[in-house]
Amino acid sequence: MAVSGRDGEAGQDVLRRVGEASVLILISLADGPKHGYALIQDIKELAGVELGPGTLYGALDRLERLGLIEPLPADDRRHPYRITAPGAAALRVHLESLERVSAAGRLRLQLGGI
Amino acid sequence: MGEPRAARLIETALRCYPARWRRRHGEEAAELAALLIRDGTPAGSIALSYLAGAAREWLTPRPSRRLRLAACALLVAAGSLGVSAGLLPSTAPARAAVTGQSHGPAYCRPGPPEPGPGVIPAMGGPHVSGWETGHGRAC
Repeated sequence: MAVSGRDGEAGQDVLRRVGEASVLILISLADGPKHGYALIQDIKELAGVELGPGTLYGALDRLERLGLIEPLPADDRRHPYRITAPGAAALRVHLESLERVSAAGRLRLQLGGI
Repeated sequence: MGEPRAARLIETALRCYPARWRRRHGEEAAELAALLIRDGTPAGSIALSYLAGAAREWLTPRPSRRLRLAACALLVAAGSLGVSAGLLPSTAPARAAVTGQSHGPAYCRPGPPEPGPGVIPAMGGPHVSGWETGHGRAC
């Protein structure tokens, strides 16, 4: 079941239930195609999260089934992946949703005086 | 852990994935494991990650697997309906014979209720239980 570009633009947060690994992969692919090893290194650098290779391939398959990423022709034995237009739209919606929640959380902490 | 032993461990873990997955990612996954081991990641933790991934891969329902499951469920349902339908006509005459009535079921016949819960053979009648006569059932 692929996600169309319009779903992302309509404001539906399709990434809410895909898990943290999938979101981190999309963020990592947002600045260009990468293969598995580069993704693991980049995610470790940007988020301090060490993705296990089993988790990585599970998330890649899920994102590909949703049409949020696509494989590029194999470079030697490595398959680079790139984010699709619906993937970029879904990531944008998800990040905006996270920002709203984050702002609300900070405001409540201020109001609570904690 | 020695390099050949680590490679064997990873290979064993990768063999746990479905064939479809191995055809798609197998070589790349082995190469990725080799790179991670070279960077200092313990082979055991890589193998564990692949084993967990393989378990998830087998347990996650795929569209084709879902279709197969639905087809099986339909077949089972149709089969059980067929068996039930086949049993209905075959049990009706048997019940009629047991109640000793030739025209229709006794529990729908107007008139005084059958003696229940059963006539004791020693008192001169056949032993018929209340369940068989339908005593107490509504028409």
